[in-house]
Amino acid sequence: MSEYIPRLAEIVDIDIESSNTYLISLKLLDDVDFGYKPGQFVMVSVFGLGECPISITSSPTRKTLQLCIRRAGKITNGIMDCRVGDVLGIRGPYGNGFPLQSMKKNIMIAGGGSGFATLRSLVNYIVDRRSAFGEVAVAYGARTRQDLYFMQEYKSWQQAGIEVGITVDIGDESWKGNVGLVTALIDKFRMSVGSAAICGPPVMINAVAKKLMDKGFDHSDIYVSMERHMKCGVGKCEHCMIGPYHACQDGPVFSYDKVKSVL
Amino acid sequence: MEKVHTTCIYCGCGCGLLLHVEDGRVVGASPSPLHPMSLGRLCIKGWLAGEFVDHPDRLRYPLIRRGDRFSRTTWEEALSLTAASLRAIAQEAGGDALGVLTSAKGTNEENYLLMKLARAGLKTNNVDHVARLCHAPTVAGLSYAFGSGAMTNPIASLAQATAILVVGSNTTEQHPLVASYILEAGGKGARLVVADPRKTQLADLADLRLAPRPGTDIAWINALLNVMIQENLIDQEFIDDRTEGFDAVRQTVLGCTPEAAERISGIPAQDLAEAARIFGSAERGAVVYAMGITQHTTGTDNVQALANLVLATGNIGREGTGLYPLRGHQNVQGACDMGALPDLYCGYQKVAQARQKFEQAWQTKLPDEPGLTALEMMALAEDGRLKGLLIVGENPMMSYPDSSRIKKALEALEFLAVCDIFPTETSELADVVLPAASFAEKEGTFTSTERRVQRIRRAVKAPGEARAEWEIISDLLHRLGVPADYASAAEIMEEIASLTPQYGGVRYDRLGACGLQWPCPSRDHPGTGILHAEKFSIGRARFRAVQHREPVEAVDDEYPLILTTGRSLYHFHTGTMTRRTSLLDREVPLPAVEINPEDAKPLGIRNGQPVMVETRRGSISLEARVTEDTPKGSIFVPFHFSEAPANVLTAQALDPVSKIPEFKVSAARIRRG
Amino acid sequence: MAFLPQECLVPLLTLLSNRMEVVAPILVEGVPVFASWSGQPLALKDNPLLPPQEFFLPQREVLFRYIQDCGRYSFEEAAGKARLIFGIRPCDLRALAVLDRIFGSDPMDQSYFDKRRSTVLVALNCNEPGEDCFCDRLGFGPECSEAVDLQLTEIDKGYLVETGSPAGILILKEHPEFFLETSQSHLLEKCEILGQAREAMNSCIARSLPGIKEAIKKADWNALGRLCLNCGSCTFVCPVCHCFTIQDLGVPDGERMRCRDTCLLSGFSRMAGGTNPRISRGDRMQNWYLDKFEYIPQRTGLLGCVGCGRCNRVCLAEMDRWSLEVKR
Repeated sequence: MSEYIPRLAEIVDIDIESSNTYLISLKLLDDVDFGYKPGQFVMVSVFGLGECPISITSSPTRKTLQLCIRRAGKITNGIMDCRVGDVLGIRGPYGNGFPLQSMKKNIMIAGGGSGFATLRSLVNYIVDRRSAFGEVAVAYGARTRQDLYFMQEYKSWQQAGIEVGITVDIGDESWKGNVGLVTALIDKFRMSVGSAAICGPPVMINAVAKKLMDKGFDHSDIYVSMERHMKCGVGKCEHCMIGPYHACQDGPVFSYDKVKSVL
Repeated sequence: MEKVHTTCIYCGCGCGLLLHVEDGRVVGASPSPLHPMSLGRLCIKGWLAGEFVDHPDRLRYPLIRRGDRFSRTTWEEALSLTAASLRAIAQEAGGDALGVLTSAKGTNEENYLLMKLARAGLKTNNVDHVARLCHAPTVAGLSYAFGSGAMTNPIASLAQATAILVVGSNTTEQHPLVASYILEAGGKGARLVVADPRKTQLADLADLRLAPRPGTDIAWINALLNVMIQENLIDQEFIDDRTEGFDAVRQTVLGCTPEAAERISGIPAQDLAEAARIFGSAERGAVVYAMGITQHTTGTDNVQALANLVLATGNIGREGTGLYPLRGHQNVQGACDMGALPDLYCGYQKVAQARQKFEQAWQTKLPDEPGLTALEMMALAEDGRLKGLLIVGENPMMSYPDSSRIKKALEALEFLAVCDIFPTETSELADVVLPAASFAEKEGTFTSTERRVQRIRRAVKAPGEARAEWEIISDLLHRLGVPADYASAAEIMEEIASLTPQYGGVRYDRLGACGLQWPCPSRDHPGTGILHAEKFSIGRARFRAVQHREPVEAVDDEYPLILTTGRSLYHFHTGTMTRRTSLLDREVPLPAVEINPEDAKPLGIRNGQPVMVETRRGSISLEARVTEDTPKGSIFVPFHFSEAPANVLTAQALDPVSKIPEFKVSAARIRRG
Repeated sequence: MAFLPQECLVPLLTLLSNRMEVVAPILVEGVPVFASWSGQPLALKDNPLLPPQEFFLPQREVLFRYIQDCGRYSFEEAAGKARLIFGIRPCDLRALAVLDRIFGSDPMDQSYFDKRRSTVLVALNCNEPGEDCFCDRLGFGPECSEAVDLQLTEIDKGYLVETGSPAGILILKEHPEFFLETSQSHLLEKCEILGQAREAMNSCIARSLPGIKEAIKKADWNALGRLCLNCGSCTFVCPVCHCFTIQDLGVPDGERMRCRDTCLLSGFSRMAGGTNPRISRGDRMQNWYLDKFEYIPQRTGLLGCVGCGRCNRVCLAEMDRWSLEVKR
C-alpha cells in the first residue's frame, strides 16, 4: 500500500489551549501501535482540504497521541472546525526526533510561541524517564499570558525536579510572572552546561543559541527543531529543503552548526 | 496518453499549447515549440491551463431558478424557457429591451453566432462584451487614426526594436511572452522606457522609468512630442507622405512643455526630455500599452496620443516599430472582429452602413440603429427599460464597475440567462443557468492580440451535460426562427469568412499549429504580419490633437487616495479558473491592497494588517501590503477576489467616445479594520 | 545484440502494441511529442521538448481516491498499466537513473516504481545532437550509460540493438523474425556515428561541468532574480526536476492528487505564517542550481543535470542558463 495512504484517527478529546490553539487527543482506529520519539511529527489529513505537518506534542511514554493545532492556514482551520468523534488521517511518525542517545545528560529546553508544542514531547518524556537525565531546565516564552500553552503541567515539571522559567512579552494585571525574553530566563537557571533543545522563531533561536554558547554550550550540542513547508514528509517533494538536507528526514531536529546560516 | 495541439485559454498572447489527456481526462499541458510567437515557451498560467477543466465545481446540468434556489432541468426546458422569455419581452417591449453580452473567452464562432442571435434572432443591436472594459478606446481610437484598431505588428517584431516605450502595462505579469520579447530586444541593446505609476518588475528593469500621476498621460505624451518637434526628432517625410492633420497637433503641443507636463503629471521635466530623445532618435521605436492607457474617461484620447507619437516618428509599418495594444483575454480580439459590438458587424462593418449586406446573407430584416454598450445596458436595466439579458462566459458582478449598481441592474431584469463553465457571482442571479464546455472540450478558433487566428481542439468530453456554446446558440437560433444548421464549428467559420473581409481566407484546414494573422482576405493569402506597411486602409493616417483632462473623480479631504485596480500574474480576471488551480491559488491566496509606507504610517497601518478600503460606492475588507512599489498618494487593489471585490469601489464614469469606465482612478480612503 | 532492419521497426512495435501501450515520439500538428502510438509515423529526428518522465511522475496523478461513509474513510488506488516507451534518449534515461535513487530512498515511492517496473524502455542513442545538447561534456551520452531493456543505434539500413535486461532479451527471443545477426562492421559503424555525434556537440566552455560550477559561484543571483518571469518552464521541462505537491480535490469523496510543482515559485517554500526561507527570486534560482550541481550529487552520487539543454530553450527571461551572465 502506498506510503501516502494515511491511517485513520478519531478525535477523542479537545482541550482549548488558547483562542486559536487546540490540544487534540487522537486514537488510531486500526489499533496498531504508533511508536514515536520526541521531536517527530505527523502529516495530518483533513480529507477534501489536504495535509499539513504537525509536531507530536505528547510523549511516547504516555498513552494518548496528542497534537497541538494552531490556526494558521486552510488545513489547520479545517482541523479546528472538527469535533470529538470526527476522523482525521495520520501519516508517520516522520522526522528524526531529538537524538537522545547522543545528547548529554543535562538538558536545557527553550521554546518560544507555538514552537513549544514540539518541545513538550521532550519535557514529558524527561519527566517520565527522569533518572536517565541530569540537570534539566525549561525556558518558555509567549507573546501574552493567553498565548501560553500547557499551563496545568508546569507544576508537574517542577515536581519532577526540572527548573521551569515562564515569560511573556506583554504582561497584564493578572500576570505575576516574568515579562521579557526567554534569554533572560536562562540567566536565572542554576543548570550548568549540557545539550539544548530549542524551537521557536528564528530570532529567538539565534538569541538563545548565542546565550547558551556564551555559557559554554557547544554549538553541536545545541539542537534546533526547524519549521519548513512540507508536503510528502518523506524526502521527495523537496519543499522542505534546507540546503542539501530535508527537514522531514534529516530533521526537523538539526544541530545548530548545520542550520546557523539559514536562520 | 494523447496530446492535443490547442491554444492557451488565458491572455491575449495566444501561446501554442499541448493538452495531455489520459483516460479521458486532462492530466497536463506543455508548450508548442512550433508556435511562431511562443516558440515552445509558456508562462506559469499556461503550464497549468488544463487543471481547472475537471474541477468538481464545473457546471454539469442546466439549472432553473425556483424561488431562491436552483434546480436541475433538461436542456429542452432550459432552452425553451430562455427562447420564450426573450421572445415575449421582444414582442412586448421591442428588441431594444433585450441585450446580449458575449464572451471574450468564447470562440470566434460562438461570438459570431451570438451576434447573429442578437441581431437576426432578437432584432436588437444591444450586443457587447468586455472589450468595453479594456480596449474599446483602442478599437475607437485606432480605427480613426489608422483605419484599423488592431496591433500593428506581430509580437515577435518587438525583438527588432531599438527603443521600446511601455505605457500602462505590467507586461511581465499580464503578457509574459510580450515581456520576453521586450527583454530580448533589451539584451540586444534596445533602450527601454517604462511609464507606470507603480514600480512593476518591468519598470524596475527599465533604462528610464516615468511614474505619472494616474490619469495624466496625455500631458506627458504631448510633452514628448513637444521635445521631439523642438529637437527635430520627428519624421517629417513620413508625416508628409502618409498622414494628415499634423498641424493641429503641432499647435496643441506647443504649450505642452516638459515643465508644464511635470506640473500636471509629476514626472520630472528632464526625464521627459530624455524619454523624448530616446524614442525620437531610435531607428526603430515601438510603443506597447494596455489598461493604464485605456481605462480612463480620456481613454480614446490617450490612445490617440500614442498614435500621434508613433505617426510623428514614422514608427509604423516596419519591423521593430509599431503600436502594440495588449489585449487581455485570449479572444477579446476575436470577439471584436466578430462584431460582438453594438455599432459594428463582423469585420468592423458599421451597422449604419452594412445592414443590407447582412440582411441579404441572413435572409431577414435587421435592426437599423446602433445599440447600447454594456454599461449603458446596465443603466437601462437599473431603470427597468432593459428587461432581458443573455450573458455568456462573463462575470459582470465582479468585473463591471460599481458592483452595487450592477447587482441592482441584474436583479431588476425580468429575465436573465447566464451561460458559463463555473457558477459565478453573476450566475447566482440568473433565472436560467446553461452549462458550457471549456476550451478543452470543443472545436473553434481564438484570435490573439497579434491578430493570429488559431485553433483550439477538443481534448476531452465536457462534464455531465455541458455543451459547446456554439451548439447552445445554434439551438437558440432555431427556436427564434433563424436557420442554424451547422454540422461543425468549421462550417461556422466558412460563413464568417464569407462575410468578414479580414477573415476571407481563414479555413480550418489552413490553421495547423501556427494559425493565420489577419487580414487574410482569400484562400491563398498567407496572412499579414505587419499592418500599414505600404498604405493605410483609410489612405492617410490621421493625427488628432488631444488635451489633458482631469479624471472624473478627484481626490479630496474625505477620500484622499487615488485607487487603481489591476491584476496579478498568478490570477486571471475574476479568478473563476485560476483560483481553482492549486499552484496559482497558493501563490496569491488572498486579496491585499498595496499602500506606500508614507501613507500607511500616519494611519498606523502595518504590513499584513486587516484594513477597510472605501469609496463613495462601497467598501471592502482585505489585508494591507505596505510597499514602496506603489507611489505615495495611490493604492492598488487587484480585482480577482470575490472576498474583496475591487469593483465594489469603482465608478461608472465613462469615456464619452468609447464608454469605457475609469477603473484606474477612483477617490478612496483606507483605515485599519 | 542484433540488427533490426529499418522496415522491421514498425511491424515489431505493432506486435508489441498488442500486449502493452506503446509510447513513442510522434508528430501532433507537426510537434514531436511522446504520446500513445497507434501506427502514426515516428518522429525520431528531434528529442521532444517534454521528456518522457511524465510517464513515471505525471504532471497530475491520482494517488488515491478517498470515499467517506458514516464519518469513516476507505481508499482506492488506481491500477498500473503495462507500457513500452520507445525512443527515450540517453540524457532522459540518465535522468531516470537519478530519479530512481531519489524516489527509491526509504520509504520507496510506490507510484513511481509501479510505473518503472511495468514499463519497458527502448532507448535510442543520438546520432545528431541538438543545438543545446551537452550531455557528453558532463561525462555521459550521446550513448546510453545506464543499463536499459533495449538500446538502439541507428546505422545504415537499420538499428544496432543491444539488450540490457531480461525484458529486453525476451523481446528478441519472442520476435526472432525481425532481427538479424550483427557483424563487426555494425559495431564499427555505431562507434563511428556516435563519435561524430560527440564531435558535433557544442564545445563552448560554458556548457561543461567546471564551466557551470564556476558560473554558479560567480553569478549575481540578485540580478538574475530581477529578470526571472516566474514561468517555471525550466523546472517543468527538466528531466531531473521532480518537485511535487499533494492536494485534495472533492468533498466528501474525492481524490488526493500528486501534481508537479516548481521550487522557483515563492509559495513553494513559504510557510503558514508567511515567512519564506527563500524569499527572493534570486535565492530560489540559486537553490535550483545548487540542488542540481551540489545537493543531488551529495544525495545520490549522480549529477542533477543531464546536459539536455531544455532549460535554456524555454527560459522566458532569455537568460543564458549556463554562463548565467546578465545581459542588461
